[in-house]
Amino acid sequence: MEQSAQIPLLQIDGLSKRFPGAIALADVSLSIHAGQVHGLVGENGAGKSTLMKVLAGIERGDSGRVVLSGKPVAFENPADAQASGIAMIHQETNLVDDLTVAENIFLGREPTRWGFVNRRRLHEAARGLLKQVDAGFGPAVKVRTLSIAERQLVEIAKAISFDARLLIMDEPTAVLTSHETQALFELIGRLKDRGVTIIYISHLLPEVLRLCDKIIVMRDGRVTTTLDEKQVPATTEQELAGLMVGRPLADHFPTRSAAGQGHALEVRDLSVAGCVYNVSFVVRRGEIIGFAGLIGAGRTEMAEAIMGLRQRSSGVVMVDGKGVDIRSARDAVRAGIGYLSEDRKGTGLHLAMSVAANVTMLSLARYCRPLIHQADEDNATRGYIDRLRIRASGPRRAVGTLSGGNQQKVLLAKWLEMNPKILIVDEPTRGVDIGAKEEIYALLRRLVDEGMACMLISSELNEVLGLSHRVAVMRQGRLEIILNAADATEQKVMHYAAGVAVA
Amino acid sequence: MNVPIENSRRWDWPAVVERLGPMLALIVLVAVTAVLERLLKHESHFLKAENIFNILRQYSFVGIVAVGMTFVIISGGIDLSVGSLLACAGGIGIWMMNTAILATKLINDNALARKEYAENVAAGLNLPLELPWSAFRESLAHWSITLHLGTSEPAGVVLAVLAALVVATFAGWLNGLLITRGRVAPFIVTLGGLAAFRSIAMAIADGGEFRSASHDLFGSFGAGGISIPGQYVAEGVPLQFPNPTIVFLVIALAAAVLLRSTRYGRYVCAIGSNERAAVYSAINVNRIKSLTYTLMGFLAGIAGIMVASRTTAVTSSATGNLYELDAIAAVVIGGTRMQGGSGGIAGTVIGVLILGVIGSMLNFLDVSTYLQGLVKGVIIVVAVLLQRLGQKR
Repeated sequence: MEQSAQIPLLQIDGLSKRFPGAIALADVSLSIHAGQVHGLVGENGAGKSTLMKVLAGIERGDSGRVVLSGKPVAFENPADAQASGIAMIHQETNLVDDLTVAENIFLGREPTRWGFVNRRRLHEAARGLLKQVDAGFGPAVKVRTLSIAERQLVEIAKAISFDARLLIMDEPTAVLTSHETQALFELIGRLKDRGVTIIYISHLLPEVLRLCDKIIVMRDGRVTTTLDEKQVPATTEQELAGLMVGRPLADHFPTRSAAGQGHALEVRDLSVAGCVYNVSFVVRRGEIIGFAGLIGAGRTEMAEAIMGLRQRSSGVVMVDGKGVDIRSARDAVRAGIGYLSEDRKGTGLHLAMSVAANVTMLSLARYCRPLIHQADEDNATRGYIDRLRIRASGPRRAVGTLSGGNQQKVLLAKWLEMNPKILIVDEPTRGVDIGAKEEIYALLRRLVDEGMACMLISSELNEVLGLSHRVAVMRQGRLEIILNAADATEQKVMHYAAGVAVA
Repeated sequence: MNVPIENSRRWDWPAVVERLGPMLALIVLVAVTAVLERLLKHESHFLKAENIFNILRQYSFVGIVAVGMTFVIISGGIDLSVGSLLACAGGIGIWMMNTAILATKLINDNALARKEYAENVAAGLNLPLELPWSAFRESLAHWSITLHLGTSEPAGVVLAVLAALVVATFAGWLNGLLITRGRVAPFIVTLGGLAAFRSIAMAIADGGEFRSASHDLFGSFGAGGISIPGQYVAEGVPLQFPNPTIVFLVIALAAAVLLRSTRYGRYVCAIGSNERAAVYSAINVNRIKSLTYTLMGFLAGIAGIMVASRTTAVTSSATGNLYELDAIAAVVIGGTRMQGGSGGIAGTVIGVLILGVIGSMLNFLDVSTYLQGLVKGVIIVVAVLLQRLGQKR
C-alpha cells in the first residue's frame, strides 16, 4: 500500500475562514488519499463542519487553496462540488419527503423521453443503485415512509449516481441503531474497495478507530495531528480523546456518591396509548436513574408523558410524596420537573434568539422588575458560559450560530436555570464531543450530590452504566427490570433491552 | 429584536444593513423627493412642516394597526381582518353615539310612525307599519336615556370610544380563540374576518355611511393637534402637530417596551421562532397568541375610532380598505421577518413613514398617483430581498 506516494486526491493548503466574531478555520492544510477512509475528529467548534462545508461548496474559504486531483478548484455552490465528484451525506438528510426514492435520486436529471419522465428507465436505474447499497426497499416507495437509516442509503445511492469520488459523512451513525450502524460500516467497506474515498466525521471514537485508515484531529480551527495507517491501530480511545481535547483525559465518569433518602419522584402505572404500558418506578433524591433500551422502547414517550407533553392513558405522578396533576409542561415545571429534550433544534432551543434569551426562557420572571433587566440576564448567562465552558462570544449571540455541542450546553443551562428538583435528560450528550461530555457528566454528578434527582435517558450504554445508581431497562414500552449499578453489566442490560439472551 | 450588533471591532455588515436599512431607505426617499422637486419644479413644499404633518396625520391610523401587526407577525401569524374591523368598530362607535345623542328624536320618530299606523288601521287602511328606526335601536335609545348616556355630547363621545374599543377587542379575541382553540390557520380565520366585519358594518349602515351626530366635539380630536407657537399655515390657522400622530407615537413607544422588555414580548418572539420549543419551555402558547390577536383588535379599534373622528364619518364600504396590506407592508419594510421570530417596533414606525412618503412624493413630483402601487410594491420586495441577503451571508 504505497498510496501516500501518489498524488493525493485532495490537497488543502492554508485554508482560512473567519465568521464575524470567530475564526472557524486557521491555515488548515491536509491531504486526502484516494481509496481510504479518513476519520475527522475534534471537539465541537473545532472547525470540522466548516471545513467540510467548504469542500461541499456550501461555504467559501477566505484564503487558501483546494486542489482536487492536481487541479485547483473553487466551488461556488454544492452543484459545483457534486459535478467534481464530491458528495456530502448530512446527518439530517436533504430528501424530499413526498417524492419516491427514484425521484429523489434523480431529482432534476430524470431520464426523459419526448419531454416526459421515462418512469421505467428511472426505476431501472434507481433499482441498480439501490442494489449497490444493499437497500431493502424498492425505487417506488415514498421517502416519507423510510427510516433515517434507509434515507441515508438513498443519499448514498444518489452520491454513487453522481459518480462521487469523495464521500463526506457527517456523523452518520448518531441517529442509527447498532444493527444499522453495522450495515453502514459494511457498505463503507464495499465503497472503499471500489475506490471511493471517504471522510468520516464522528464523535464516537471507538467506531472511528475501527473504521478509519487515517485520522485527522482538529482543534480550534487547526489540524493538530494526523494519524497514518500505521499509527491508527496503535492508538487507544483514551489517547485519541486526549489529542482532541489537547490534554490527557482522566476517567470518563466521576465517582458516584450514595443516593440520598426520600422519594423525589414516584411514577405509578404510567401508560401512553400505543407506546408505554404500566410503568412504575421511584427516583430518590441525589440519585441518577438511567433508562436503557433500544430506539422505540418508549423512553422518550414516557418522559414526555411525565412532563405533560403527551396524553397519559393512565398513571399517577408524585413529587416529594405528593400527587401532582400534570397536564402541560407548565404544570410539570411548576412541580419542579425539568426535561431536556432529545431534539435540541426541534423542541429544545430557539435558534434565532440569543443565548441569554434561551437560557432565561424558563426563569424569565426572575429577571422582571417589572421590566426585563437585561444586564442581569446577561450576567447570569455569562455565568453559565464560564461554568459550562460554552464557546460563544457573548450572551447576545444567536444560539443558531454556535456549534452543536455548544448549543447542547445552552440547552442544559436553560434547564439548570429553573433549579429543577427532578431533571429528566434525554440524550444529554448527543452530538457533543468528549471534552464537553466529561463536563456534562461532572455537572450532573455535582447536581445530584446537591440533592437533585435525575432520570438519564441515553442510547450510549456506557454513559448509562457509568453514571447511574440504578439502571432501568425498557423494552417495547414496558419497564423490564431495574438493576442496581453493581449488577448492571452491558450484557445484562442488552439481554433485557433486546428480550433475548446475548451471546 | 433584530440581530444584535456585537461589540467587536469587525462590523457585522449584514446585521447593520438589516437594522439601519429601513432608516437609510427613508432618508434616501425623502432626499430624492426634495431634490427632484427642487430641480423639476423649482419649489420646495415637500419638506415644509405642513406637508410632513399632513403625511403623519394620514398614516398614523395605518401606523397604529401596523404596531399590532408587528406582534402578530413576530408570533408567526397574520391578521387580514384589521381593515374591515377598523371600519366596523369605528362605524359601531358612531352608531352607538348617535343612538345616545339622538335618543329622544329616535323614540319620537318611531312613536310618530306607530301613531300613523294606528290611525291608518282605524281608518280601515291596510298599510304596513314602517318604523324609521329598528326596534333594537329604539330599545338601545330607551336604555341610553335611562342611563343618561346621551344627555351631553361628551358622554356620547365617550360612549363612541368605548363601543369601538369593546367591539374591536372582542373581535380580536374571537380571532385568537378560533386560531388557538379552534386550530384554524390565522390566514383563514382572519380572511373570514375580513369578509365578515366589513359585511357587519355595511349591514348596519345599509351600505352607506355612519355620519356623526356630534360634529364639533367628536371631530375635534382626529382633525386637531397641538399648535406650534408662532407658526401659521394661513392667516389665523395655526400649524398643528396632529393628535393621531401623538397617539401613534405613544402607542409605538409603549409597544416597543412591551416587545423588548416584558415576558409577553419575549414569549411572542419565542413562539414565532420555534413554537414547539416554546411549548416544551412551559410557555402558555395559546394564551400568548390569544393576547396578541386581542391586542391587535384593540389597536384596530383605536385606529377605527380615530379615523371616524378625523372624517366625522365612516363609509361602511370603503373606510379602512386595504389597511391590512399597508400595515403588513410597513412591518415587512421595517425588517420584521415574515416567518416570525424577530422584528422590532422602531422598524415598523419607519416602514409606516416610508409608505407615507411614497404616497406623497408622487403627488409632489406630478407623477400619476396610480403609480403609487408600483413604487410601494418595488420597495416591499426590495426590503425583503435585503433581509434575505442579510440572512444568507
